[in-house]
Amino acid sequence: MKKSESGLGLTVVGLLLAVLSFFPVYFSLISAFKSNGEIMRDPVALPTGLRWDNFVYLWEHTRYPAAFLRSSFLTLTSIALIILVIPIAAYVLERKKVRFSGLIYIYFIAGMMIPFQAYMIPLFRQLKVLGLFGNMAGPIVIYVAGSIPFGTLLYASFIKGIPKEVEEAAVIDGCNTLQTFWKIVFPLLTPCTASLIILNGMSIWNDFLMPMLVLPSSQAKTVNVEIFAFVDQYASRWDVVFAGTFCSIIPVLIAFVALQQYFVKGITAGTVKG
Amino acid sequence: MKEKMRFDTMAYLVILPALLLYTGFLICPALSSIYYSLTSWDGLSPQMKFIGLDNFAMMFQDPRFFNALKNTLLLTAVVTVAENLLALLLAVLVDRVKYFKSLLRSAFYIPVLLSGIIVGFIWTIMYNYNFGVINSLLAAWHLEFLKVDWLGRPESALFSIMLTLTWQWAGYYMVIYLAALQGVPQELTEAARIDGANRFQQFWRITYPMLAGAVTINLTLALIQGLKVFDQIAVMTDGGPGFASETLTYIIYKVAFADFKQGYGTAIAIVLFVLILILATIQINILRKREIEL
Repeated sequence: MKKSESGLGLTVVGLLLAVLSFFPVYFSLISAFKSNGEIMRDPVALPTGLRWDNFVYLWEHTRYPAAFLRSSFLTLTSIALIILVIPIAAYVLERKKVRFSGLIYIYFIAGMMIPFQAYMIPLFRQLKVLGLFGNMAGPIVIYVAGSIPFGTLLYASFIKGIPKEVEEAAVIDGCNTLQTFWKIVFPLLTPCTASLIILNGMSIWNDFLMPMLVLPSSQAKTVNVEIFAFVDQYASRWDVVFAGTFCSIIPVLIAFVALQQYFVKGITAGTVKG
Repeated sequence: MKEKMRFDTMAYLVILPALLLYTGFLICPALSSIYYSLTSWDGLSPQMKFIGLDNFAMMFQDPRFFNALKNTLLLTAVVTVAENLLALLLAVLVDRVKYFKSLLRSAFYIPVLLSGIIVGFIWTIMYNYNFGVINSLLAAWHLEFLKVDWLGRPESALFSIMLTLTWQWAGYYMVIYLAALQGVPQELTEAARIDGANRFQQFWRITYPMLAGAVTINLTLALIQGLKVFDQIAVMTDGGPGFASETLTYIIYKVAFADFKQGYGTAIAIVLFVLILILATIQINILRKREIEL
């Protein structure tokens, strides 16, 4: 007896709900190719043709391209640092049992309970004092620091599941801690790393409040902040805002389609282990 | 001995970057927010004036704070329940269909990927009174009398935001329920069916108890997420009309960065943190107890 049932009715209900659920996304994607008039006259209809002028305007007359680059840079750099800093720390805390390692582990995990809003005001002043306010270093250190609690938890629980013999063999072959980790253990943690990259990458790309407040208003900020500004500034140019929306959804959709499996694993690992 | 020392030094060196970043950019500001909440700092002046608990006293006389507290609790309660009911329904559905399984899962999951700003913007336009999709459809179906200025009226603004949040996040919780459903052994429901249990009994007596862990996780995550909503409100209503859709996170932002009362803003942030802690703890305790009974 297979678990799945072929019930046609169920499938039809499912497809209807799926259409309903996907509709807002579909609506924003097609609107990017419409003129302002078309969007207002008949919001549901397909565009009359593939018009690219919204994108041309977006690319030539707004700060959007710079914002897109900035978002990409912030996301990629933060992720690279997160992967450089967290796994090895979690490994040492979990496996090496140096003095205070248990305490440090609990200290790292405790941060998970602190919401960003609870510390943002002192944080911003601190960035100013340290000269990190208004440049990209500010968001990057905040993202890396903010991902330490969950990242440590996730890696530590994955590392527990790796048999110790693997590492012992490497040590006998003359590897030190760093070599053992990067050459032997880290490759075994690939599913965990993929999950962490996806979860953090998504939340950094989608972040709004922090970059809005921390990066200077005279320059392009991030994709989300620029779209937010558009909504005010171009209140009568929905077409251009939709083009911006299109450009920030497409990379996410591509990543999702390519890495679907890891997205699902990331969520379930993140919650079941958390 | 010397070997061990060198080894330990290296281990500490490897932990150090994480330790410094975490302490410097999370724990330190979090701890100093306690001090900030006891000052009348405006965010600009170099000196902070210590005023003791005045901010908290002010808060308990501030109708705007209580309004935001009420909105936050209402939104969180509604959205947590709605998201989870919908998510459970979708998970059961996706688990059961034979064809289009992954297509359906993706369609329900895609809204989760979008940023709060994008989602807020899309729905702002869908809710538009004159040319929004929702009112256009109502007009097309000759239901003009149902047309409402969804975000522009105090009675419907918060509700409209809740609907958007439910749409966006149900897919996230669905994935977790789906993973739990796939862990339910087929033999159990099969045995129950043979014993004469109907569909509903099978679900309620066998499947649902097996989902208890996922329920705990999902309700807790939804609760915390609900208490922290910000981006969607920023785009869709800016807390309005009037103060109709202001939440705690929203007045923290407004008070701190528009009214330049950062001491007061931090005090509200501390209340929010304590609220999250208390509600999440209560909820987890109740749900865990249920898990054990099952």
